[in-house]
Amino acid sequence: MSHQVTFDNVSRFYGEVLGVNRITLSIPPGITSLVGPNGSGKTTLMNLMAGLVRPSRGEVRVLGISPGEPEKLGRVLGYSTQFDSFPKGLTGYQFVHAFLRLFGFTQERCANLANEAIARVRMTEAADRNVAGYSKGMRQRIKLAAAIAHQPQVLALDEPLNGLDPLVRAETIALFREWAREGRHVIVSSHVLHEVDQISDQVVLLSNGYVVAEGQIQGVRGEIQDHPLQVWIRSRRPSALASKLFELDHVVEARLSPDRTGVLVKTRDADRFYRALNAIALDGIDVEGVMPVDDNVNSLYEYLIGGGEAAR
Amino acid sequence: MSPPLLEAQSWAQIGAVIRLELKKTFLSQRGLWVYLLALAPAAIYLIHAIDTMRDLETRRTLNAAHPVATETLRSIHNGMSPEEVVAVAGQPYSQTSFSRRAFRLTTYLYTDGESNYAFLFRNGELVRINEQDRCNLPKDAAIFATVFQFFYLRLAVFFGCAGIFMNLFRAEMLDKSLHFYLLAPLKREALLIGKYLAGLTAAVATFVTGTALQIAALSWHFEPGAVSEYLRGPGLSQIAAYLGVTALACAGYGSVFLAAGLLFRNPIVPAAGVLLWEGANPVLPAALKKISVIFYLQALCPVVAAPEQGLSLFERLLISSAEPPPAWLSVLGLLALTAAVLVFAAARARRLEINYGAE
Repeated sequence: MSHQVTFDNVSRFYGEVLGVNRITLSIPPGITSLVGPNGSGKTTLMNLMAGLVRPSRGEVRVLGISPGEPEKLGRVLGYSTQFDSFPKGLTGYQFVHAFLRLFGFTQERCANLANEAIARVRMTEAADRNVAGYSKGMRQRIKLAAAIAHQPQVLALDEPLNGLDPLVRAETIALFREWAREGRHVIVSSHVLHEVDQISDQVVLLSNGYVVAEGQIQGVRGEIQDHPLQVWIRSRRPSALASKLFELDHVVEARLSPDRTGVLVKTRDADRFYRALNAIALDGIDVEGVMPVDDNVNSLYEYLIGGGEAAR
Repeated sequence: MSPPLLEAQSWAQIGAVIRLELKKTFLSQRGLWVYLLALAPAAIYLIHAIDTMRDLETRRTLNAAHPVATETLRSIHNGMSPEEVVAVAGQPYSQTSFSRRAFRLTTYLYTDGESNYAFLFRNGELVRINEQDRCNLPKDAAIFATVFQFFYLRLAVFFGCAGIFMNLFRAEMLDKSLHFYLLAPLKREALLIGKYLAGLTAAVATFVTGTALQIAALSWHFEPGAVSEYLRGPGLSQIAAYLGVTALACAGYGSVFLAAGLLFRNPIVPAAGVLLWEGANPVLPAALKKISVIFYLQALCPVVAAPEQGLSLFERLLISSAEPPPAWLSVLGLLALTAAVLVFAAARARRLEINYGAE
């Protein structure tokens, strides 16, 4: 059995619209990040890998298994999609349990696996509440629980850190590292290079449906640090948060939103910023969510890949 | 892994799909109208039964006040005068008169406690006798046959199945939750079979119960003796046939609408198309007739529906099914049609993609 996730000259078109084009990739075990601005083809690549869409051309293999064989693929792949929707009327536990029942496991095994996965994403206390009442971060975590519950060899996660507060974000990243240490594939998509470069063994940069760079990220990190990262932080105490953030030397701007629901921050050091934000949250200032802002990412990509044109 | 284990696992997975789908199908608010559709005829029959019992009670009360025997009322004939009728049968319980320049109309109403009799006199001479029977089982069975074939099968079961089966895939595409099924290690064929069996269970439970309730409501107001006699005669086999036809209708229409739900974004279009096709069945060439569900169902119905009797050639052409096949062939034909549609749907399900943005 192959130990790689491979894309061999894969293209996917949605009618006239390009999803991805001529992608040839080989993803080894460890943490691999698919990074690119919105519309660059990250989700299409993940959906191709999971068999949710089929390639217009080329071949995808996950550990040697074709996505056209869902009965085999589903056992080695766990996928937390970007779709923020769930079957109606289920609690978090019921959702994970019902998903596991589709594997043909016994009731008892499903219960054990579901409880274990829910505990790993720290959702045990909320497991008996209806998913419809969950916050965005909780929905992300319960999706993650469903993806890891059957202990797959390959874990694909589409924007898994979106909407998570700093503490949960740190715990989730620790979980990715743990899975990677066990020799599994953890494939994470993000539109924020700063967010994943610290945790990735390999990064694949995508732009307009093409792979424009892949491999170790070390070479571009310095350039990233020269480029300010713009982050939106949702908080119930935005003024207090802004004044704390101003004390940080790497923060170049902290602006309250007009509706006073959060702060828009520009920082020159993403790593130190996220560490400092964790400390601020632990100090008691409520941080409800962290969301890197797109425009800045797009400009970063233009900066890194020259608009993507040269790479084609 | 050995093949038998795989097989057992697939069935366990299908069982899991059925459990999940049944929970959604039976408890969904979206499905309430299906229950109404299934139970509406039974409610109408129940109202009819209550009305019939009240009517019988009234006739018996009137007969007690104006006692007259059936034989006496049947001995009255045209040409008699009102006085002669009163001499034979006594005073009517109701009497009405209507006069115009050239004639005078008088009506005498009698009852023997079971049937109503109306005697119509024109200028003092009996010219017409109307006997209004109390309902009887053969008559009600014929009414039931008509309602069953022309409302229940063609509309209630048809649209009910459309609502249940088309939503099995379509509703999850609209809810954006279908991908959870597609991410499970589940053959698409197994998913399709699981969803179909869940839909079939829900549809059969709903509509076969509806049929059984209709029969119960219809026979409720009859004397136990009359019901026993009916059951000893053709009754039991007719009831079994109606229940079986309902279940087969759910199986046939279910497969068609499941496939339609996979093929079309807007369920109105295929539902209208299938309705048109099924409605046009009587006028289709013989070979095409066999590619419809109603062709086989109609042949299995135990009582010929009333509208087929005494209608013009044109009307008969519109509603009747020529060359009805034998029962065994109808059952086999319907099952073969269902299987063929499911195989087609399975092929379609294998190519199913998640593209919620386009929904």
